[in-house]
Amino acid sequence: MTEAQPTRQNAAAALAEVGIRAQQVRQADSHLRWMLLALLAAYLVVAVLMSLSPHHGSTFAAVGIMATLVAAVAFAVVVGVRIRAYSRAGIRLYFGTIIAFNLWNAIVTSASIATRFWGPGQPGYHFGISEAVGVVPLVIGAWLLSRRRD
Amino acid sequence: MLAAAENAEFGFVRDNVEVTDSMLSKQMSALEHAGYVKVKKGFVGKRPRTWLSLTKDGRRRFARHMNALREIAS
Repeated sequence: MTEAQPTRQNAAAALAEVGIRAQQVRQADSHLRWMLLALLAAYLVVAVLMSLSPHHGSTFAAVGIMATLVAAVAFAVVVGVRIRAYSRAGIRLYFGTIIAFNLWNAIVTSASIATRFWGPGQPGYHFGISEAVGVVPLVIGAWLLSRRRD
Repeated sequence: MLAAAENAEFGFVRDNVEVTDSMLSKQMSALEHAGYVKVKKGFVGKRPRTWLSLTKDGRRRFARHMNALREIAS
């Protein structure tokens, strides 16, 4: 018995279906952005706490920072276990963003220390400004992942 | 769907393709036996999770199939 060759219409319908399935995977990819946004939110909250803290290392700032980081990690774990599918492009974009963020953050931190923007005599908001600049790769990565819904 | 995904959870494929557990399970077993699909079972907490992905051979075959479909459709 030989398999019948699909008609032109059958082939076109099959190709259209492949496109729909690929879009469903891209939509699932967009959930990865929530993990990046959790990290972004945690960094921004830490930046605000440090900026508002009149003295470096106050108890309020330390407790606030710890609580923020724990909440961000818990949120990222919950989102992570709920991810049901991801594409190669999506996971590369996610890890690429994490790597870019770490590299960029290291550059921003080094520059802040080298230029004495960070220092014992400097106001707390200097730390906040550097943190805000440091999260730029996370913003870009989350935006690129959210575009994958379309 | 698996061609677009690096990994997809069994339930995700079942819900989107709209087939029953047993139907998908049967299809995946056949494709795994043929060497086109890799089935990975694990746990998230106490919940069992099954992840599906295409093997290299599966991707190659799928690409060939897509080319044939494009030729017919054009």
